[in-house]
This record gives sequence, structure tokens and C-alpha cells, in this order.
Amino acid sequence: MYIIKNALRCIGRGKGRNILIGIIVLVIAVSACLGLSIRQAAVTAKEETLSTLSVTATISFDRQSAMQGMRPPSGGEGGDRGSFDKDSFAQMMGQSSSLTLEQYETYAAADSVSGFYYTLTASFNGGEGLDPVSNESVSDTDATDSDTSGSSGRPSGGFPGGMGGFGGFSQIMGSQSDFSVVGYSTQAAMTAFVDGTASIAQDENGASMGRVFAEGTDQMECIITQELATYNDVAVGDTILLANPNSEEETYTLTVVGIYTDSSANENSFSMMGSTSGDPANQIYMSAAALQKVLDASAEVSETVTDEDTGREFETKLNSTLSGTYVFATADDYYLFENEVRELGLEETYTVSSPDLTAFENSLAPLNTLSTTAGTFLTVILIIGGIILVVLNIFNVRERKYEIGVLTAMGMKKGKVAAQFMTEIFVITLVAVVLGVVLGGVSAVPVTNALLEGQSTSSQAQSDRIDAAFGEGGFGGGDFSGFGGGGFGGMPGGGMPGGDRPSGGFGGDMFADIFGQGAADYITEIDSAMNLTVVWQMLGIAILLTLLSGAVSMLFIMRYEPLRILSNRD
Amino acid sequence: MSVLTLENICFSYGKTVVLNNVSFNFEKGMIYCITGKSGAGKTTLLSILSGLAAPDSGRILYEGEDIAKLDKYKFRSKYIGVIFQSFNLITKFTALENVRLSMDIAGVKGSGKSKDKKALELLRSVGLSEEEANRRVLLLSGGQQQRVAIARALSYEAEVLLADEPTGNLDGETQDEIMAIFRELADRGKCVILVSHSPEVARQCDTCYQLLKHK
Ligand SMILES: Nc1ncnc2c1ncn2[C@@H]1O[C@H](COP(=O)(O)OP(=O)(O)OP(=O)(O)O)[C@@H](O)[C@H]1O
Ligand SMILES: [Mg+2]
Repeated sequence: MYIIKNALRCIGRGKGRNILIGIIVLVIAVSACLGLSIRQAAVTAKEETLSTLSVTATISFDRQSAMQGMRPPSGGEGGDRGSFDKDSFAQMMGQSSSLTLEQYETYAAADSVSGFYYTLTASFNGGEGLDPVSNESVSDTDATDSDTSGSSGRPSGGFPGGMGGFGGFSQIMGSQSDFSVVGYSTQAAMTAFVDGTASIAQDENGASMGRVFAEGTDQMECIITQELATYNDVAVGDTILLANPNSEEETYTLTVVGIYTDSSANENSFSMMGSTSGDPANQIYMSAAALQKVLDASAEVSETVTDEDTGREFETKLNSTLSGTYVFATADDYYLFENEVRELGLEETYTVSSPDLTAFENSLAPLNTLSTTAGTFLTVILIIGGIILVVLNIFNVRERKYEIGVLTAMGMKKGKVAAQFMTEIFVITLVAVVLGVVLGGVSAVPVTNALLEGQSTSSQAQSDRIDAAFGEGGFGGGDFSGFGGGGFGGMPGGGMPGGDRPSGGFGGDMFADIFGQGAADYITEIDSAMNLTVVWQMLGIAILLTLLSGAVSMLFIMRYEPLRILSNRD
Repeated sequence: MSVLTLENICFSYGKTVVLNNVSFNFEKGMIYCITGKSGAGKTTLLSILSGLAAPDSGRILYEGEDIAKLDKYKFRSKYIGVIFQSFNLITKFTALENVRLSMDIAGVKGSGKSKDKKALELLRSVGLSEEEANRRVLLLSGGQQQRVAIARALSYEAEVLLADEPTGNLDGETQDEIMAIFRELADRGKCVILVSHSPEVARQCDTCYQLLKHK
């Protein structure tokens, strides 16, 4: 094909101009490549993490919507805004705020669910010879003031902070308790053990200190923290005595079969929360079946008493909170589940949520923001680049008007002349784009990571500001805000044992869960940005730019008449 | 046997009438000379003959067919060879490349090498050395450029050769060589149409047509 030969020859003969065009295309290509790579990185990071993410979900009571349901229809009686029925609300809260195990299991039957486990949490006081770990003499902080106290802490295995409001519920009726006893339905429920943040402790000789209670057992076996064991001089095989906080004579004996440590719960980070049962050191783990036996026994001997201070009546039986967790094979299953449970009859006053997915989506925030910015950037680059190229090509064609006249006078069809010009543009663009892909590919990862760091820092700063603005009330003021900025912010992936999680960035989600809206952990690094998709997209851009500028040259070439060009040479 | 016929051609640039009712006949195997004062419309006539310009009225017949009905690109690239007064070479290409390009556009059969060889031969026949043949046209003298234009017009063996002052920049000796080439073409049955002011050139032609300048 002489057209191609001619095109290549023309490129060679017009080096200066073509290098100029090439450099401009190169700049466009590198920028476009970076933009595309960043977008691709966001997609890849999401897909890769999603494919390995174990998605769990919980069903929680939506107090807001329940309250709305309670409000009598307003407006009917003119200006009379019906008053809120506090009594029936309290009643409802007591009865139906959390789902029963039967209800949980109904929804577990949904097709999308691949697994289900639950935890039972109850508060106990120490019986004879068992004192809670506390670094101050038991404070007189009023536990009922604090929504975040008690059982909403560590054990519920990723319960979002939003549930915290109910975690402390059991204490509304009774006095402040010493211990939080968590019953796990299966080993899978023991998320801290599953992900390795907690494990059976080892003694000086490296031998395991006991074992975890048998899965699903109804034996009165439990495991306690190393701190609690040391504090009370308890060894594996000993028994401990727990008492019902509402009725001190009602006691239960548990055998300590193991002593564990929880690396995520060191320091006395939780003591500020008032209740010693909130301190991870004072958490006692056992099988849910066994704990249920205790609760049943307690219900049998329950009696109704009147609180001297408030005059409210309450039952002395042990209160417990049940929280179920559904496990899904994929995120899509989770989205299916949201619909399925409604079909299975879950009321609107309950919401389905997935802390993993929420944490995951939060972790993607900087990358997504960056991706959006990159998209805008890409559009701008392509528009400006397209305009520049079109203008350059108009100049090019005008400058070579005489050549076009000669070629057409020699009998070369205008279409072929245009094709030759297109080929020239395409070859130059292609070379520049290939160079651009190489340069862009090399720089995409460092550039993305640098941008991402900036993005994360600003996201972090923003969420810190939000913490500072909202945080004091909930978490006991100055103490906490100091923590939020430095302590948690500096906790991303690598530093935590949980760093083997896919995104490498979830180490801190536990904190986010506990504090509801704490510092989210962001994806701060990607390891690949370029892939074949980007290369194809770049090729598409090259063709698009060629067609665009080629179409404009074509318009000019078609308009040219050889006689007019050749008869007035200037 | 006539190969090109002009029938009552009229042509004007706007109000300037250049050709008024011109009827010429051109036959194979002959050399024609078109003379006329500067501005008489000789170049314009060649443009019409080569299909670059369309007459306002009248017909041009190529082997009995109206060229308005022919594919004008095919007509220009294959049937007609034109040596323009202003050469119209692609100056960034070498002499050889210019000749080869015309051969390619005309679709001359043969391998690249054989076409190169033929182009070189042609260039040599008009008096260019191989070194000059491989030099960019921009760096050739006016006379050398004119000879490249001649070689190009000859390269695809068109039936009709149109030449606008083909020897205008050449010395007498080279002019004679070129005229010999044209004579040889005519002997092979081609039709050569020249525009020239030179009486010497006119003398070597078979038929002369005179164009009168309109006021
Ligand atoms: N593009 C044009 N627009 C307007 N007038 C033109 C154009 N080209 C040529 N002319 C006019 O038409 C007339 C004929 O021009 P043409 O070039 O055919 O003359 P010529 O016989 O070839 O002259 P010369 O011997 O000087 O080459 C001239 O008067 C010229 O000024
Ligand atoms: Mg002329």
C-alpha cells in the first residue's frame, strides 16, 4: 500500500512538526493513562477485596423508625401535636428491640445465607473470690448514663456502634455490673479468635494455658483473660463464681478451661467508660448453649421487686442481649439477603446492615474520591487534548495544501489523500500513546499512592474534625479526642496483626465499630494500577483522537480543489 | 485516429473570458503545439484537457467519450500525463520518489524494485544522474525540476502527454534531447500536446494551434 509508505515518508520528512504533535499527544496520553489507571485501581481494589471479603450482616432495631411509627398521626386535630407515648415505647423497647433466636433462625433460612452464628451477652457480678480487674477503686459513674458501656464492646464480634444503645440496656434495670459474659454459638462466632487477635495464652514454658470450651457445649465451662486470671489468682481447672447483679444470692459456678489474651484489647483503654464490665479484661467467654442454661435457670427463680430509688418495678432474672450474625459467601448475597428477609416478614422497624461492607466501603472512600477526580481530570484532558489536536491538524493540513493539490492533480483520490493524512496522525498518536502508556504505567502506582496518601490524610483530618465535634459527649471528653487523632489514626493495616486481610487496611475497623463513627481505616496503598483494560482504553483513546482530528483534516481535504491550489501559489 | 477532441469550449474566470468557442482535435502519433501570447489561456486550456477544470460549455471527448462522464481521478492518473508549467512536484520528496508516487497512484504493475528501476531509467533519460535522482526536489535547479516533472509525466505511459512550456528552463541541447523523447513517444502511438513560445519547438511539432488573446 503506497498510502502507508507515503504516510511514513511524510512523517519522516516533517520531523519537527511531528515531534511537536507527538509531544502534545504524549502529555495527553500520560495524563489520560494516569486517570484511567487510577479509575482502574479503584475498580480492581474493590473487586479484589470484595472477592475475598467475608461478608457478615446483622439485623438491628431501628429506633428512629420505631419512634416514627409510635407518633400518633398529627394534623388531624389542627394544631394539636399528639404527644409521644413514652410508656408504650419503653414497653416495646423492652420486648421487641432485639430479635429472638427463633426469628434470627427464620431469616438464616434465606437462600443467600451461607452461615449463621450468634452471641449471647449477659452481665454478672463477681461472686465469692472473683473481683473484676480495675485500675481504680470502683467508680461511682452512673452506668445508665452511658450508652456505650457494657456489652456493646468487643465480644459482639463486629456489632456496629449504632447498636451500642441497646447493649447497655440490660443495665438500665439493674445496677452496674462487674463482668460481661459472652456466649458464642459456634467457633465462627468468636471472630477475635478467628482473625487471630485473640488466642489462648501461653505460660512461661510456652505451653498453652488450657483450651477453648467445646463448641456448642452446655457444660459450665468458660475462658477468662490472662489479666483476670492473674488478678484473682485463678488457674486452668479452677472454678469461678458469678452472681446475678439483681440478686446477689443467685450464683453460678463456672469451670475455667482456658485463659486467653486479646492483643487488640491491651492497655486500659476501656476503663474510662465507667463500667468494669466494659473492660476487655473482664470479659468471660463461654458457649451460648451453656449461657442459655444459666439464663433459663435464672428466669425460673426470678421475682418482681421494686427499685427503691426510682420506684420502678423490675424482674430479677438475668438480662441478656442476643446478637445474630449472618455470613455470606459474597457481597451480592448480602444484597439479596436484604430483600429476602423482608419477604420472610422482617418488619420495617429493623434494619439489615453489614459492618464489614460498611467498613470496606469506608475504606474505599479516598480511592473513590480520587477515582471521581481522576474521571473529571480525564474528561478535561481529553476535551482540551482533542481541541489542541484538532487545531494542530488544521494547521498541518493548511500548511500542506500545496502537497494535497499536487497529489489530487496527479489523480490520487481525495479519500486516499485523507487516508494518508489519517495514517500519519494515527502513527504519531500511536507512538506517543505507547510511550505514554509506558511512562504512565511506570508512574501510575507511585502517583496514585502519593495522591491517595494526600486524600486519606484529608479524609482522616475531616473525620477527626467530625470526631472532635461530636465526640466529646459520647466518649468522655478530652481523654478521647487525644486518642482519636493519634492513636487510632495511626493504626492502618500493617501495624495490626489483622494485616493479612485483603485490603491490608481493616486493622482498625474494630475501633470504628466500637465507637460507631470512629476513625475509619482507609486503603492507603494500591500495588497495581495498569492492566490490559487500561491499555485497551488507551488504544481506544488513540483511535478516538485520530478519528476526531482525522475527520477535521478530511473536511479540509474534501474542500480543496487542486486547480485553485496549484494556480495560486503563495 | 483522434484521441482527444475539444468541442466548442468556452471558459471564463468570472467576467474574464479566456476561451471562447475553442474546437481542437488531437490524434495519436502526433505532436501538437499550442501557441499564443502570454495570458492567452494556454495553461487554462491544458487544465481543461487534463480534467482539472471543467469548461463552462462544450465537451471534451477522450477516445470518443465525454470526460465529464469518466472517473476524473482515473483519467488524470492513467490516461493523461501532465508536465505543469510550475512543475507541481512534492518538494520534500526526492526526484525518484516523485516519479514512483505517480506510478503508484496510476497503479503501474510490477514489483517495487522494477518500478524503481524504471523510474531511475526515465530520470536518466531526461539527463539526471542517480545522485540527483535521489536528491530532494527542493535542492534541484529549476531545469532539473522540470526534467523530474517530465520523467514523472512519462512514467505511467499515458496515452496523452500534456506539457506546459516543458523546455522553458532548459538549454538548447537538453531541449533537443527532450524533443527527441517526445518524438519517440509519438512514434509509439502516443499523442503529445505542447505549449511553447519557442519557434524552434513549434517547428519540430506536427500541428500548431494558435490561441488568440481576448480583450
Ligand atoms: N485563477 C484565476 N483567476 C482569475 N483569472 C485567472 C486565473 N488563472 C488565470 N487567469 C487569467 O486567465 C488568463 C489566462 O491565463 P493562463 O494562465 O491560461 O495564460 P497562459 O496563456 O498560460 O499565459 P502564459 O503564457 O503567461 O503562461 C490570464 O489573463 C490570467 O490572468
Ligand atoms: Mg501558462
